[in-house]
Parts: sequence; C-alpha cells; structure tokens
Amino acid sequence: MKRLAAVAALLGLAAMTACSGGGNTGNSSGGGVYTTIDALKPGLDVNAPINPYNPKGNAFRGYNSMWLGWTKNHMTDPNQFYPGIAASWDIAPDQSSITLKLHPNNKWSDGKPVTAEDVRVSIGLAYTQGGTAYALDPKAAGAASDIEVIDPQTIKITQAADNPSVTFVRGIMETIIVPAHIWGSLLPADFWDKVKTARTDGPEAEAARKTITDLAPKVLAFGPKEDVSAGPFKLERMNPGEALLVKNKNFYNAAKVAPDQVKILNYNGNEQVWGYLTAGKLDNSPFTAVPADVMKRIAAAPGNAVVRGYSPVGNSLAFNQSKKPYDNVHVRRGLAHLINREQVTKVASPEGGTASVTTSGMHQKPAAEWLGAAGLNSLEPYKGGAAKAEEEFKKAGLKKVDGKWNLADGKPWKLTINVPAPFSDWLAGAKAVTSQLNDAGVAAEVVTTADYPLYLEELAAGKYDVGMWLVALGPAPYNIYQRLYGTQNGWQLLAGQLKHVPAGKEGNWMGGPETIEVDGEKINPGELTHKLNSVTGEEQKKIISQLAKAANQDLPVIQLWDYVNTQFVNTNRFTGFPENESDMLRLTSGVWIQLGLVKKK
Amino acid sequence: MSDMNPAVALPGNTRATLRRNFWRGVWRVLKRKPSRMAGAIIVLAFAFMGVFGPMFYPDQLPRDDNALYAPPSWAHPFGTDFEGTDVLALVITGSQYVLLTGLVTAVITIVLGTGIGLFAGFRRGRWDSVLMRITDMKLTIPGLPLLLVLSTIWKFSSAWEMGLVLGLLGWGGVARAVRSQTLSLRERGFIEAARGLGLSTTHIIGRELLPSMAPFIAMNMLIAVTGAVYAQVGLFFLGVLPFEANNWGVMLNLAVFGGGALTTTAALPYLLAPLLAILLLTLGIVLVVDAMDEIFNPRLREE
Repeated sequence: MKRLAAVAALLGLAAMTACSGGGNTGNSSGGGVYTTIDALKPGLDVNAPINPYNPKGNAFRGYNSMWLGWTKNHMTDPNQFYPGIAASWDIAPDQSSITLKLHPNNKWSDGKPVTAEDVRVSIGLAYTQGGTAYALDPKAAGAASDIEVIDPQTIKITQAADNPSVTFVRGIMETIIVPAHIWGSLLPADFWDKVKTARTDGPEAEAARKTITDLAPKVLAFGPKEDVSAGPFKLERMNPGEALLVKNKNFYNAAKVAPDQVKILNYNGNEQVWGYLTAGKLDNSPFTAVPADVMKRIAAAPGNAVVRGYSPVGNSLAFNQSKKPYDNVHVRRGLAHLINREQVTKVASPEGGTASVTTSGMHQKPAAEWLGAAGLNSLEPYKGGAAKAEEEFKKAGLKKVDGKWNLADGKPWKLTINVPAPFSDWLAGAKAVTSQLNDAGVAAEVVTTADYPLYLEELAAGKYDVGMWLVALGPAPYNIYQRLYGTQNGWQLLAGQLKHVPAGKEGNWMGGPETIEVDGEKINPGELTHKLNSVTGEEQKKIISQLAKAANQDLPVIQLWDYVNTQFVNTNRFTGFPENESDMLRLTSGVWIQLGLVKKK
Repeated sequence: MSDMNPAVALPGNTRATLRRNFWRGVWRVLKRKPSRMAGAIIVLAFAFMGVFGPMFYPDQLPRDDNALYAPPSWAHPFGTDFEGTDVLALVITGSQYVLLTGLVTAVITIVLGTGIGLFAGFRRGRWDSVLMRITDMKLTIPGLPLLLVLSTIWKFSSAWEMGLVLGLLGWGGVARAVRSQTLSLRERGFIEAARGLGLSTTHIIGRELLPSMAPFIAMNMLIAVTGAVYAQVGLFFLGVLPFEANNWGVMLNLAVFGGGALTTTAALPYLLAPLLAILLLTLGIVLVVDAMDEIFNPRLREE
C-alpha cells in the first residue's frame, strides 16, 4: 500500500516529483501545468495550515517551502548542497562556522525582499521545534552557538566549540526559511536572550528551555491566511483532490521556472499513484513501490519513462537479542546463510530494490566507496545455504528432530517476523523469508501490526523477536551506523555523554553486546559510531571499516535488500528531467524546477 | 407389560415414518428446482473442501520463483500469487479457517439469540425488559469499529476465537426476532391448549414453540454463516488481522495493494479466486435457504 511512499517520507528523502500535466488540465499561458504527488504528504488536508513545520501543513518542499540549501545526499560526503534560499556558502575548514550569502534579488511572493533577518527568525522558530543544529541542550553535539547577521544578505552561524559534529553544516542547510514579517510575531521580544540562557547550565537555563519548547505547539498551529513563499511557487488553493500552486513571479530564478502552475494530487495508497501513472497524468512521481506488471503498464503509457538512482536506505531483518535463541550469534549467522536474499528481493521489491551483497550496515554503493572492493569482498557474504546453516545451528546447540529445528532445551522453535501491514513489500519479503525457513526446517510465521507507528512502538517496547528495520540511512556515516548501534541497541546520547543502557530498558530492544571482538581487538560499536560525528579522513574510514566488520560478523540485523530510487517521468509536456543516477533524484521535482532543469516542451 | 410394548413401539415407528417423510419431502423440494439442487451441491462441496481440502496439499505449498503472478493454466487454474504459489491451493487450504469461523459464529449466534429471545418472550415481564435492554444495548454497538479496536489487542489466530467474537457480536438481531415470534406464538390456541393440558414449560418450549420457529432459526443460521464470512474476510482485507497467506481476505488485500489487481491483469486471477469462492458460497447458501423455506412451510409447496 503506502510502502515506498511511507519509506520515502520516513527518510526525508524528498523523492517526489512534480509533473506536468498538460493533458488533463486547462493551461494558463505558455508554461503549462505541472502535475505531481508529494511523497511526504499522502492524504492532503484541506484544512491544514500553510505551515512547513506542521507534518500535515500545506507547504510542499521545493515548491512553496524552501530550505537554505538542498542536500545532495552524496554517497560519502554529507556536506554537498544545491542552492536554496542561500546562493552560496562558505564553510570554515574545521566546520566551526558557516557563512551564508543569500540571492541578492530574491523576494517573497508578496514583494518583500528575502533577507538575513528572515533566516534569523526561521532559526529561532527551528529552536522551538528542536533539531540537531538547534538543540537547546548545551552539551548536544553539532549545535549552533552564535547567529550573526552580517548584512541584509549575509549571515554567519557558528558551531558550539565544546562538542562539534560533522552534522552541523547539514543541520544548518536544512533549515526551513519563512518570512520574518509574517512569522516573527511568534517569537517573544526576549527570545534570543532566552536561547542564550537555555544554552547554559542551572535552573534558569532549564526554565528558559521550557519557555522555548513551550512555543512549539503555537508554531505548529500557526498559518497565514495567504501563502507568502520564497519558493518558485505559491499555494493558490487547496481542495480534497489536489493542491494548486501558481508561479511566484518574485522568485530569484523565476525566468527559468518553466511551469506556470503545479498541481499536487492527493493519494492515500500506492495503487492510486499507479492509476495516475498508467493514465499518464503525472509528469513525475517519486519513489513508489510498483509490482512488475504494473511497472510494464506504466512504462507503456505514452511519454512515461523510468529513472533510477541511488537511495541511501536498505531493509533488514532485525533481532531482539534479549530473546532466545537470537542472543546466540550462531543462530543469527545460520539464518543469514539460510535466507536467499535474491529470491526475497525478487518477490518483495523487484523494481525498487537490489539484493544486499552482504550485511555491512551500509547500502552496497557507499559500502564499496568506503571499504573499497577488497574491503567489501573480505566480509562474509552469508551465502552458505542449508549446509552452512546446519553447522551454525549445531554450534548454537539447536537440535534437529524429525526435520525440524528445536531449541537447545528441546522445546520447539518458532521464528515470528513482525511487519506493519500497510507495507506490502515488507510483508511479501517477510513471507518469502518464512517460506525459505520453513523449507529448511525452521518453523516460521509472519505476524502483522495494524500500522507503522504502532509497529515502531511495539518494536521499541521489545514485544517482537524479529522485525523489519530500515538501515543504512545515509549519507552521513554517523546516521548510517546509528541505525545499528544507537538508542535501539542501548547507546544513548544524553547531554553530550554517551551511555549504554541494559537490554530491554529505555528503548534498547536490540539488546546486543556492548563490546564486540573485531580482528582480535575489543571494540565498542556505539562509541565508535558516536565518534563518526567528529572524525574525518582516514580515521573515519578506519572506524567505518571496523563497524562494517562488526555488523558483518555479529549480525544485529540481516540486510535483505537495498532500495533503488525508482521514479517515473513523463516527457509529453516537459523535458530536462534528471537522468539515471542523478543526485537530483533524491530531491523533490520542485527543486529540479526551481534550479531551471525542467523545460517546457 | 406386554401390552405396553406395541404402545411404545408405535410412537417410535411414527417418528421414523415422519423422518422418512421429511427427507422424502426434502428430496422432492430440492428436485423441483435444479437451482436448489445446485445450492445443496455447492454447500456440500464447500463443507467437503473445508474438512478434507487441506489434506490434499503439503503443509508448505510449493512455490515457483519463475512463475510469480503466473496467468491461469492447467497447472494453475487461477494463476499464482506473489511467491509463485498456486492460487487454487491457497483458496482450498484457506477455506477451513473461513468456514469454521462461519460455523462457530452461526452456532453461537443462534444458540444465544434463540435462547435469549425465547426466554424473554416466554417469560415476559421483568426478564423480558432486562434481556431486551441488554439486547438493544448490544445492537447499538457498531460491529466493525469494535472489531477494528479489538484486533489491535487480540490476534484472532484461530478460527474458534474469530468465530466466538463474531458470534458474540451477532446474536442481537436473532434474539429480537425470536422474541417477537415467541410473543406472537404464545398467544395462539395450541400453546394455550398445551398449557391447559398441564404440559411442562420444557415441553411447551421444546416441542411446541421451537419447531414452529425452526425454519426461521435455520435460515438465520445460514445467513449468519455468510455474515461471518464477509466480516472476517473484510477484517483481513483491511490488514488489521494476522497475516496468513491462504486467508481469503489476505489474498484480496495482497492482490489489490501488492499485486495491483485493479491496475493490471497479472494479479486479477489472484483477486478473483477468493472473490469467486465467497460468491459461490453465498449463492449456495441462498439457494439452500430458498429450499428450506419450502420444506418448513407447507403452504409454499406447489404440488
């Protein structure tokens, strides 16, 4: 159902698409209408405020909602961006500060200029919502410590020196920018003093932090009556079926924005998107899971084309190591040998995934970049099949009786994989895994949970033995390994201090060991992951290599498939869409349009 | 004592004759319209499928990676599913859960509904008021939303659990109807005569009232089966219940949301097979209900 769209939304992968829709809509003058869907907003809400902070808000990223810069999600360098509200930026060599230059002639859709003050107010609003660069905790890593408006077009943001992080720059560039003359009134007069106090210690700081976070609901509920946008479009009207956006004539690059209007269509499930695509309605559709035969029909529609690129996300089977027999590494290894990942991927995600080459914690593409071909090949591929699995299961003390594997104490073993029911690719994948395991004498079943939020809640509460888990969420190496050696595996970052909590406590549902022996050396994978926040160069490479080996031999998860960012474009009305493997595919088509890539046919 | 023997034997013989006549009547009624015969055959076939069907297949149904969503063929009359498993095999092995749920639901619905309706209608007064208020309250509880909520805490992994819940949710209508019938019948002459003869309440209810309502109850029972099939298939279709690849509702869900059966033809047989099974079962039951109507209601017999 909502599988890929939901996955995309989760990742903040602005995978969407905008598209032209000449055929189905009345054209205004020359530019035509671009028709698309927003992967981040399934189910449009007519009554939602025009508010980019509100998850349901009618602000569409890249169209009428802007960031300072657009993250390229480069495979190994998280600090590459396309211009957004900022035209250029200067990052200090040690990433201690970033100086942003705004476009000199950019204006809001109501005619007022876009200035550094808008950025400052937007940062203030971001503080109310929290976020890596705008953490109020004085010990948080990668937080901004000083914001200085140099001139109306220039602003400098400095990183707190006591706990720097490589995620700081990205945190700044992904700041949503809103007009100060509309939103400024939400911040009290003494707001910046409060921020300063909040970033110290003591009861006063605590009170200041509370005052600031108490503003959050007010900010989320706020919405101007009319859209004031600094993006290429402004919202004209909403109805239950679609959002209509019209060109913002004041946008700095308006001359190169091809469409006059954009229609963002409503959808509640993937099958609705398939319908739009087979009808040739969408000029571009972001990552949407598609069965093979539907893919053929979509591709057969006149003008439709498929574009594929890298997507920093993979899917895995994660274990709760507090539960027997999953606490035994040989059981996990035996299962990894048993599972035929190619077959699982063929059943689950034939068009949107490739089978993982092995478990390294990373998507295979960045894994090859970070580890090199030799490094990647040195990892255990887990392709030993039933023979190798039998060997591992025996090492774990499991016993085979009448062709069925029993636990060491002789009790029957039933492996239950939990998946959220709406993710049909996960469901099909889990079913394929259980079929393979049942064939090999491991009694296995799939159990579904009604929806994804409930699934995550129950997973975190340690209710499942085995469940599906997204991994390799790049591009920053810290974020990638945080999925394996973060809060869910016991490592918590509190006030800048890393601590390990026991299995089954405070969200530690994976329950893996605190240290692992890799190449004869005891490592603490949580600490190493945390270090990835602050190291660069060779040291970073070394840590990644250690973590990849740790993940590979200890298997907190078994990686099943790496997602492929499969998108659709229609060249009947517009051209100039990104090609295969373009980093643009990881941004919304609103960004393609605003940068002038998309042209009217 | 010897005189008593023929006297005892006679009612026995009479009963046997009556039974013979009844089955002869059933046969006549079925024969009169071929559609009724078809209905009886369908229902029997489903019963056979539910009881013996799974025995024809191995525990793990075979899969074929090279035939995912394969089109219908002799080997796979309804094609294959997303894993390359024969859809017909899924429908047949899945019928047990569906039919058993239907049966359990129907039995619970009828036993509870009839019991409460008869008791309330026959006793009247305070008992009637209390039981009917409970029934009314039960009737105001919307079934589907309640089931959706229940499914978050209860996994209904066995057909007995599912049937129990559906049965407990479904007896209200039957209870109300049986009560009204009882109220009306208890004023009739033959009941008054029975009372006048000093016959026991058990006798009056068991021998006088119940047989008069038997056709109504039997029909309700069959209709309860279809209701239960719809309800549980609907719940599984919505994806709120545990995943079981051969559950008809799960098949419908996967065909539409995973296979794109409403967008392309590849997964269409996968969608149609469980739909057809539900349709056939309903048709069979409707046709049998039609026959029953005539069996129990002599006035409808067209000689």
